[in-house]
Amino acid sequence: MISDSIPRPASAARQLFLARSDFDALIGALRASGRTVIGPTIRDGAIVYDEIESAAMLPSGMGDEQSAGRYRLTDRGDSRLFGYTVGPTSWKRFTFPPQLNIAEARRAGGVAFDQPPVEVPQLAFLGVRACEIAALAVQDRVFLGGQFTDEDFRARRKAALVVAVQCTTYSSTCFCSSMGTGPAVRGGYDILLTEIEDGFVVQVGSPSGAAIVTQLPTRKPTHAETGAAIDSVEAVRAGLGEPLPMAGVDERLKQQLENPRWGVVADRCVECGNCTMACPTCFCTASVERSDMEGRLSVTERIWDSCFDVNFARVAGGDFRARPRDRYRQWLTHKFSSWMDQFGSFGCVGCGRCIAWCPVAIDVREELEAIAPVVPPMERPIAVEPAAASPGAFSLARLASVKEETVDTTTLTLMDLDPAFLAARPGQFVMVALPGFPTVPISISRIGTTSIELSIRAVGATSTALTSLHPGSRLGLRGPLGTFWPIEDAYGRHAVVVAGGVGLAPLRGLVEALIASRDKFESVTLYYGARTPEDRLFRDDLARWTTIKAIDLAVTVDRAGVDWKGRVGVVTALFDMMTQDCSRVTAYVVGPERMMQASVQSLIAKGVPPDRICVSMERHMECGIGLCGHCQTGPFFVCKDGPVFRLSELGDLYVREGV
Amino acid sequence: MASTEKTARPRVAVAKFASCDGCQLTLLNLEEQLIEIVSRYDIVEFPEATSRHQPGPYDVVFVEGSISAPEHLEQIKALRKQARLLVTIGACATSGGIQALRNWADHDAFRAAVYEHPEWIESLATATPVSEHVKVDAELRGCPIDAGQLLEVLTAVLVGRRPQIREEAVCRECKRKGIVCIVVARGEACMGPITAAGCGALCPSYGRGCYGCFGARTGVNAKAWSEAMQATGRPPEEVWRLFAGFTAYSEPFRPIITELGKSKR
Amino acid sequence: MDENASVISMLDHTWFGSELAPETQEKLASLGSIMSFRPEEVILHEGEESIEFGILLSGRLALRTLVPERGPVTILSVEPGDVFGWSAILPEATAHSTVVATEPSKALVIDGTTLRAALKSDHGLAAGLYPRVLQAVARRLRATRLQLLDLFT
Repeated sequence: MISDSIPRPASAARQLFLARSDFDALIGALRASGRTVIGPTIRDGAIVYDEIESAAMLPSGMGDEQSAGRYRLTDRGDSRLFGYTVGPTSWKRFTFPPQLNIAEARRAGGVAFDQPPVEVPQLAFLGVRACEIAALAVQDRVFLGGQFTDEDFRARRKAALVVAVQCTTYSSTCFCSSMGTGPAVRGGYDILLTEIEDGFVVQVGSPSGAAIVTQLPTRKPTHAETGAAIDSVEAVRAGLGEPLPMAGVDERLKQQLENPRWGVVADRCVECGNCTMACPTCFCTASVERSDMEGRLSVTERIWDSCFDVNFARVAGGDFRARPRDRYRQWLTHKFSSWMDQFGSFGCVGCGRCIAWCPVAIDVREELEAIAPVVPPMERPIAVEPAAASPGAFSLARLASVKEETVDTTTLTLMDLDPAFLAARPGQFVMVALPGFPTVPISISRIGTTSIELSIRAVGATSTALTSLHPGSRLGLRGPLGTFWPIEDAYGRHAVVVAGGVGLAPLRGLVEALIASRDKFESVTLYYGARTPEDRLFRDDLARWTTIKAIDLAVTVDRAGVDWKGRVGVVTALFDMMTQDCSRVTAYVVGPERMMQASVQSLIAKGVPPDRICVSMERHMECGIGLCGHCQTGPFFVCKDGPVFRLSELGDLYVREGV
Repeated sequence: MASTEKTARPRVAVAKFASCDGCQLTLLNLEEQLIEIVSRYDIVEFPEATSRHQPGPYDVVFVEGSISAPEHLEQIKALRKQARLLVTIGACATSGGIQALRNWADHDAFRAAVYEHPEWIESLATATPVSEHVKVDAELRGCPIDAGQLLEVLTAVLVGRRPQIREEAVCRECKRKGIVCIVVARGEACMGPITAAGCGALCPSYGRGCYGCFGARTGVNAKAWSEAMQATGRPPEEVWRLFAGFTAYSEPFRPIITELGKSKR
Repeated sequence: MDENASVISMLDHTWFGSELAPETQEKLASLGSIMSFRPEEVILHEGEESIEFGILLSGRLALRTLVPERGPVTILSVEPGDVFGWSAILPEATAHSTVVATEPSKALVIDGTTLRAALKSDHGLAAGLYPRVLQAVARRLRATRLQLLDLFT
């Protein structure tokens, strides 16, 4: 039955009940209609699909227990005929045979090519699950939905009657609800069975199905029976739990083609191809020529192939996918990303066979989570609404004191502020306005109980004017704005702060917060690089931090005179000294963007996960509240969606030029 | 059935080094095709089958056996010079065979333990595949080789195409045939995932794990399989035993055996 | 031999030495000797011809060069685990900067001529040492490029 049948809504008038003891009548009727019944049966320790002659051959009372790389039959202790999930065979074995002669070539006098006539057996597929119906629909799109079709497949599909079965149990490898293909069957069948205590609630889905069902000793189901049928499917849905966030994984995967995790999974993979063989939708094939010794008569045999084959992408000039990681990436991205572009749906139906039948127990769900997770957006400021949050509005503050940090950087301490500023979190910034000067964004370098500090480097007109102000002056502020450092990302881990130059300003508050709740972290380290010893910011704080046990400090400068006895060299050289297990590091990085890129690359190379690296981005801002449009980078407004970002949110946006 | 082609039949020789003869016998076991083979090929040198003996040059030489004795070193080089195509057949010729286990052992000690006069036994300390000594044009793996693959090579030479020998795992043959995986369904040991196919998944079709007699697939990640087996609780000694078999000296297997061998006493 | 064993152990704890094969570590330990330096003690002079190859075990050294208008400038500090005087491996060996200890320091020092002779005759030592020296130089080159950008302007 081709799946362009319209799913019929469940209606009590169409539902019937068949006792389990009468199940042979169904098999008998299917066989009497000239069909070979293919259904589940036990062979060599698994439930496979093979020819069934009677209900006695069904795995009565059997269940299955599956996990990555493991499949075991279990004894249910009842007499259910379909109390298990899917096994190593799929229906593709019968719609798309593992070996098929597709051409004959003759060379005698001339050359002739013949196609063997399409001869397909009349079959009935007994026990087709929701995920398998979805898989058949996927195959329909692949083989029949495009410009070129596979007529052998069409004939086999047409010649197979589909007797679907609702799943009343599930395995830990099942994830149909995550792929939107189950657990409930919603169409694509000729007959649908839902197994309950004493038998089956039967639903007809097509005229062919009706023709079979009318021959069976059915009766109208009781209310309790139809209720039990619905409940059992619902129980499976509940048992499967929260679906995985697969929506959009096709797009996310496109951003992760260089993710180092491909290498990690390739190190485990032996490229045996079991996943592609067991998968109900994988369709790659190879052609093998079988000829007589003269080469006069040659038969082309089409066999199931796999993109994991080492020669799959080889041409005379070379190999397009030479590394195991290239081939693994091809399989997973085809199944979960490019299939969507090619056929308008995922290739995966969530049946879990690739997980169960992988001999090294690779679980694609884990790999997808590691490679293309849904990244939660940065927290929005929750506790405080910014003051003066509209263009042209500013909140007054008084400059209480001024401190010269270095020859070009000054810290301003501001008081008499709107309380909103005192509720700011480290990482946030304010827009600062001085009459006559353009408004500029400045990071908050300390949040006190009655004051905040701004550390400003004089690089332009406004910043120079600000650093020349005298105590008592007033200025206008908007804020606090933007996202803040997620300190919880470092709980139980090694917190590593990397600051370059004036980048220490937005990080000072974070360092103080890390020290203040030191027991929440495994370790706290600050790596700080400045141009020269004289350009170091917050020397009092640095001196204090050097003496306390709570934080490890390493400072370096780009160059120095002979009086400097400390380190001279780039800040990334400091990482070489890191002895922490980098997979348990959370890093917070700010500095000139080229320095941040070098630092981030070095951290990632050492094994720090990208979702545990935070950066603060600097962009041209004129309003700070996402209305002037200047600070946009990719899909983000750096003033609202940032300035603090997790690297995993940014993807390769971070290293793209000209965004 | 006389050939209508004008060219002479290809001259074939079968040579033997250190081996059991099982691979040569595969040719003779092709009972149905033997007459046609003999009519299309001129088998001029095949000690196992005929007393006919002609020196080279030959069009195709099938070489069975590993290079294990001092005289083999010269013989194989001389043979290569006489062969247009040199095809190694079997685990011994393609990977050194089971006798290559001595490559990890003290050869002199073995010799002394077995023979009363070890000084009379001329033998190399290692048993190595033919490809380590001369260029090989095609390889048929297996212990013994698969008759179908041999027929494919014979056909390919006559037709003039490259033999279609697939470099895939035994698992693919199992799955195509619908054999239930004994690793996943029964937790049994099997070398199939890293072994080259060609036998039709013979041992798994009898419910027994693959011995790996076709050897490691080229460039396979054997380490991952060794680690996966140990991760399911197999002790290193047991995994060593699985690798140290007919094709122990397959390149991807060697470092595994060396490493695992350290843990066994 | 006991002395050698403790030198090898110190070497093994450095970034440079930890990736060397045990045989290479042994050879280096026997070729060189542990030397201690006081603060401000000059180990190498810029332009000096006979120079030594060293692996810093503890303390800190400064690489300095003289800039006429500015006086001596420290362009790089050598931390424990790092190497200095790597150009001793090259035939025309001259020191490219002055190397001064900025705090009490200890290093495994090998005379340049001795090392060059050993590398020429002992291929095993050469095979073990050259790749690691290349890595150390590459690391420093990458760092230098970043320093060149003078990012903190």
